[in-house]
Amino acid sequence: MFKQSLLLGAISGILAGIASVIYQKVYSGTLGADFAALAKPLNIVITCFVSGLIIATGYWLSNKWFKTKGEIIFNLVFAILSFASILPAFAFKLPLDIEMPELFPGLVVPMHFFPALAWFTLKPLFIKTYEPYNKVFA
Amino acid sequence: MKRSFFTIAALFILATVFAFTLPTAWKIAEKYSISFSTSGVSGIFKTFTGNIIFDEQSLATSKFDITIDINSINTGNGMQNKHAKGEEWFNALKYPAIKFTSKKIIKTGVGYNAIGDLQLRGITKETSLPFQFKRNSNGGIFEGAFNVNRNDFKIGTPGGEVGETIKINVSVPVKK
Repeated sequence: MFKQSLLLGAISGILAGIASVIYQKVYSGTLGADFAALAKPLNIVITCFVSGLIIATGYWLSNKWFKTKGEIIFNLVFAILSFASILPAFAFKLPLDIEMPELFPGLVVPMHFFPALAWFTLKPLFIKTYEPYNKVFA
Repeated sequence: MKRSFFTIAALFILATVFAFTLPTAWKIAEKYSISFSTSGVSGIFKTFTGNIIFDEQSLATSKFDITIDINSINTGNGMQNKHAKGEEWFNALKYPAIKFTSKKIIKTGVGYNAIGDLQLRGITKETSLPFQFKRNSNGGIFEGAFNVNRNDFKIGTPGGEVGETIKINVSVPVKK
């Protein structure tokens, strides 16, 4: 279980990182707001990868501690934390030589949801969790 | 013929003397900096324009006429920028500029003092701005630091998280 969730965390983290870098390119190309000096592509991928590993550990711990309700609690906490993580992006103070700080949250806020998006998208491929569902509807 | 020659010569000499006594009109060079800081917030104004006429040897005819664009404020945070331009603070829609027009410039022990009218948020107050001027090969640089009490200009409400005394640092390279 731990290995599976760790593998899922690693792969979804890398995918979230790649998606974030692509989004950054599109964002700066469309709006002309270049924050690449602040959010370097390699740092974005590493951050997403590490986030994926933390998420995987959290998923494993949640299922270990709360057994059958672990999945529900994990999903709820994951969603709340993803939402909560966008607040610092609004309060973040950029170096004064960077133009258009107003556009910075528009870049990073969607990125904060990419790990969750990648995790929930890939999870059925790694962890089969429809047993309780089958029990209810069988 | 002789008379007109003397007239032209006299005019030429007068013009030459006058040209030497005129204070220098400086052009504002790039990489100037107008920064402000107080507890809770700090930032810069990115755009300012003005006429700078200054000569250390002719302070009586020296003059500053400066306009700072409020909309060019940058605190490094988008929400703070919007807040600063808002009605409670600078009210950039109604008062888009900070203006300073000097009335006299006097020599002090460490530099100079420009005494003039500072207009901020529609309120004009006589203010003394201390500064130094250093000449260099390309022109020179004006540097100054002074404090402004935001309550004098009804910027924001008294008290609160943002300090009332705002420290302003100015560094303006100029060229001829």
